[in-house]
Amino acid sequence: MIKLYDYELSANCYKQRLMMSLLDVPYESVPVDFFPGLQHKTDEFKKINPLGHIPVIDDDGYVLWDAHAILVYLAAKYDPTGQWYPTSDPALLGETASWLLFAEGTTNTASAARLYVNLSYDFDIDACRAGAHRLFRVLDEHLWFRERDGRDWVCSAAHPTIADIAIFPDVVLSEEGGVSRLDYPSLRRWTDRVKALPGFSIMPGVFPMGTS
Amino acid sequence: MRTALTTTVATTCTDPIILNQWHPLLPLDEMATDHPGTAVLLGERLSYQLDANGAPAVWLTADVDATPLPVLVEYLYVWTCLGSPPDELFAIPEFSEPDRRNVHGGTIGVHVSAPRAIENFLDMGHFPYVHTDVLGVEPHTEVAEYDVHIDPETNDVWATDCIFYQPRASTTSTEGQMSDYLYRVPHPYCVILYKTTPLFEDRMDVIALFCRPVDDDQIQAHMFLSLLDPDNSDTVIRKFQQGIFGQDKPILENQYPKLLPLDPRAETPIRADKIAIAYRRWLSDLGVTYGVIPVSPTSVSMTS
Amino acid sequence: MTNPVTLPDPVTLPDPMTLWHPVATMLDLPHRHIFHGQLLGREVAIWRADDEFINVWENRCLHRGVRLSIGTNDGTELTCRYHGWRYSNRSAGCTYIPAHPADAPARTICNRTFAAVEQYGLVWSGEDPIGEPPTVASLDDGTPFTLRNLPVNAPSQIVLDQLRQHRFQPVASLDTDDAEMTATEINDYALSLTSTGTNTAESSTVVFFVQPVDSDRSVIRAVLTEAPAEVAQLAVLRHHAAALGKLVIAAEAAAAQMPLPEPMQATINQVSLALSVMPEPMLDRQAPLRVQVARKWTTARDIAGFELVSVGDPLPTFQPGAHIDVHLPNGLVRQYSLTNGPGDTSRYRIGVKLEANSTGGSQCLHDTVREGDVLAISEPRNNFPLRRDSLRTVLIAGGIGVTPMLAMAQALKPMGLAFELHYFAQADEHLAFEEIRAGLGDAVITHVGLSPDETGAELARLLDGYGHANQVYICGPGPMLEAARTIATAADWPDQAVHFEYFKNTTEIDDSSSFEIALARSAVNLQVPAGKSILEVLRDHGIAMPSSCEQGACGTCVVPVMEGEIEHQDVHLKQSERDAGDKIMTCVSRAVSDRLVLDI
Repeated sequence: MIKLYDYELSANCYKQRLMMSLLDVPYESVPVDFFPGLQHKTDEFKKINPLGHIPVIDDDGYVLWDAHAILVYLAAKYDPTGQWYPTSDPALLGETASWLLFAEGTTNTASAARLYVNLSYDFDIDACRAGAHRLFRVLDEHLWFRERDGRDWVCSAAHPTIADIAIFPDVVLSEEGGVSRLDYPSLRRWTDRVKALPGFSIMPGVFPMGTS
Repeated sequence: MRTALTTTVATTCTDPIILNQWHPLLPLDEMATDHPGTAVLLGERLSYQLDANGAPAVWLTADVDATPLPVLVEYLYVWTCLGSPPDELFAIPEFSEPDRRNVHGGTIGVHVSAPRAIENFLDMGHFPYVHTDVLGVEPHTEVAEYDVHIDPETNDVWATDCIFYQPRASTTSTEGQMSDYLYRVPHPYCVILYKTTPLFEDRMDVIALFCRPVDDDQIQAHMFLSLLDPDNSDTVIRKFQQGIFGQDKPILENQYPKLLPLDPRAETPIRADKIAIAYRRWLSDLGVTYGVIPVSPTSVSMTS
Repeated sequence: MTNPVTLPDPVTLPDPMTLWHPVATMLDLPHRHIFHGQLLGREVAIWRADDEFINVWENRCLHRGVRLSIGTNDGTELTCRYHGWRYSNRSAGCTYIPAHPADAPARTICNRTFAAVEQYGLVWSGEDPIGEPPTVASLDDGTPFTLRNLPVNAPSQIVLDQLRQHRFQPVASLDTDDAEMTATEINDYALSLTSTGTNTAESSTVVFFVQPVDSDRSVIRAVLTEAPAEVAQLAVLRHHAAALGKLVIAAEAAAAQMPLPEPMQATINQVSLALSVMPEPMLDRQAPLRVQVARKWTTARDIAGFELVSVGDPLPTFQPGAHIDVHLPNGLVRQYSLTNGPGDTSRYRIGVKLEANSTGGSQCLHDTVREGDVLAISEPRNNFPLRRDSLRTVLIAGGIGVTPMLAMAQALKPMGLAFELHYFAQADEHLAFEEIRAGLGDAVITHVGLSPDETGAELARLLDGYGHANQVYICGPGPMLEAARTIATAADWPDQAVHFEYFKNTTEIDDSSSFEIALARSAVNLQVPAGKSILEVLRDHGIAMPSSCEQGACGTCVVPVMEGEIEHQDVHLKQSERDAGDKIMTCVSRAVSDRLVLDI
């Protein structure tokens, strides 16, 4: 069974929990005392990931860190449809990779702002928030044009990819960092659609869609 | 681009009731000997450091003389005061019981006033909706009648005989239980919950929220636990507690006004809100003005 | 463009609060979404119900001020995320408070609503708007095509200044940059721009509405007056998005040169005096049970079936003919007969007919109560007991009166006792609980669509020939019961063999008399004044009295009488019981004499 070195309030760990829930892949969550214990910075933990960060997975001895790399692995290995990480469609795969890098941007802006507010991380909060708004504006327009084309997801396919999962937590938790989504109606409709995916699961701070 | 939500000037506190209270700065074990740290309390930037003997020192960062502020170490935290502090902090005798696990559950920043956070902690009606399948679940949504009183000696506000069905009441629970709750407010910005534990019939777990008011609408919420739980690691206890608080945070941040309105005409109470109403009235009686919207002198006074 | 910006003198502008403003596009209201918007500093939650009604509500739950926009929209109601309070489409009235199934306030908690009008693909609203949303002839005459709407961190007047100098190409020549622009002011928040190609002379017109979100924020809502051909649409949208994108940057740069204005403050109304007071506790323990609606379905036209399961201890047993009081989330209490057969104790099953003139009870159950809701109910009361020693039992049901009859029939069947259930209904579609009737087989005979005369004839046939140990039970509308009473008497049925259950007492109650009651066991004398019932007087004096329908139909509030002449105004007691004069329905009946002695 996959072991996930996990922290309840981490957006990046949630990306993995969400992906595995959507893929219906069982896993064991190994809680790491990220905060206030800073367990991920201990020498002991650095034996697992020398960079000292989470999430990390250990799939029967195969150890991988970095939130977006783990999404690639999980999708490539456990998705029989080949849709989440579409290796058989180079153009779509390119898009997915491109938006994964966009997700690095949302991590370093929106999620960083959240860490500043929640856990008192020492970041330039104004720069984080301004950066998040810049990215959200771009994504909102992008998603608006997707909707015009009758498409629901970040990439051009009719199905979601790991790009959606990589970006979603950073977006849906942005208000905790003081980044309002009032100006981004397309973004908000997209978060509703992600929440409606079969197998969707929440984390503290994310509200489920209604049951009807 | 600029947004109005960038760092604003903090509202410094001129409320003597709040200035003359002990406030929890941070856990003692997060203070270092070799370099100072900094934190904001009531709009003021403070510096802190452990001296050579390991005793905490706190001072106003802007004060070149570093005049020491009053300091108290209690319940794992370093408390300080910007005014004249009371002789003692409120008592939690359970802290000294030898078989207790005293755990600092973590500190989470929330963009809301301390009184709103206290009131949320006092509320049971949201358990099935915000802490679904843990502290509550439908159809067990009813909040049975409970009692509220003010302790004549300590002036603490108490809610007693609270009872609620909980699928997973604590880290030691393996099945659902009816939890008995006692709530106690011994300080305008601190609240304590006493809760039945599956392990002992006549003793209770203690879970508290000690809020450091950064600003009148911004807090650092310290989660303090004094538990009867010999088995679970601090990591597991923290995961449970932070998970719960992480679910409350977006509710708190989506409430407005952010300052707690003390006027009875501001919001609509139901019987489940008895302790919240008592808390608001208590804050009014104390004369608190920071973190709240006080009842305006011209409004009609409500007699119960 | 670096024209100096001067804001118009605010005194000359009409009060924006009285104007209609666009607050969303129709695209912003997909199925089950709640749109979070803001107008002039006031946050709104906008949601479209399944009946297409567009709700614009103050984005704040009246309970504790939590944003309604983070709640859930299920097509008919909005549920607040904090405590699960539910608010109805259109009225914004609170229909359910999960924390208190038995304490439903008979007071209306209504969120604040604002007008909503759909026009030109946009949703228009206002703080206190006068008249109608503005009409623009070019849009009325054309085929409005909504462009992508853009938020701007700049006040509306700066945005309009920028728009006056805005450039875009007509649809026919998007790739060139030579168009001539003409601007037409529409009002203080809207202007129209026409772009004419210099070579082609083709022109396109866009109407720009600027929504004032806050003192330094707006949304540009742009509508093309003529929808382009399908193949051209994407290019047109991209063109305008790019052009407006540049305008947004310029507007924000201009705004950044001004000092940051104070945010607009929307007024939040005080809660009414009545709602601000803590409601009284439910000390009256007449609804001690808690049930959850496990199933709600349409069992016949206008009749909803409900299955209620216990939330706590197992449900108490009951007799056939028993009914429960159901405390509704709107504060009303209604009685419903259990349709359960013996041994069917895991859930209570009731049928509720939607009354044409519903006083709010059946309507609440039909419209707002849903599966999963928790209700407070009484223990079952049996004021309509079934004899199980009859040689022949005739059960006669009219309409919703079938409910207690089904319970009785299911009790008689396994005992091998002869019975028939005659079920009178207006039409086939009104016949309820088919699954129960199917289990009773031939014993159920339906009479559908009979006229009153035909019904009378059928009743006469059924009641012809009383035999020893025959019993008849009748439950249905008042006129049917009256007809049956007359026929049974004429056919010499003894009083004790004919049992009527009235669901309602439609007789006009005359409470103008005043008299004294003496309570024999407590040696207390009380005065019953005009306008008060004996039941009320007893309760006012702290005497706990059971009751249910409180209209003289169900029989729960009966009290023995030792002396005095009773004025019966109920429909529950049989004639023989009335004549005996030793029982009184305290909720409606009174005294002919000056004094009654009650055996309590």
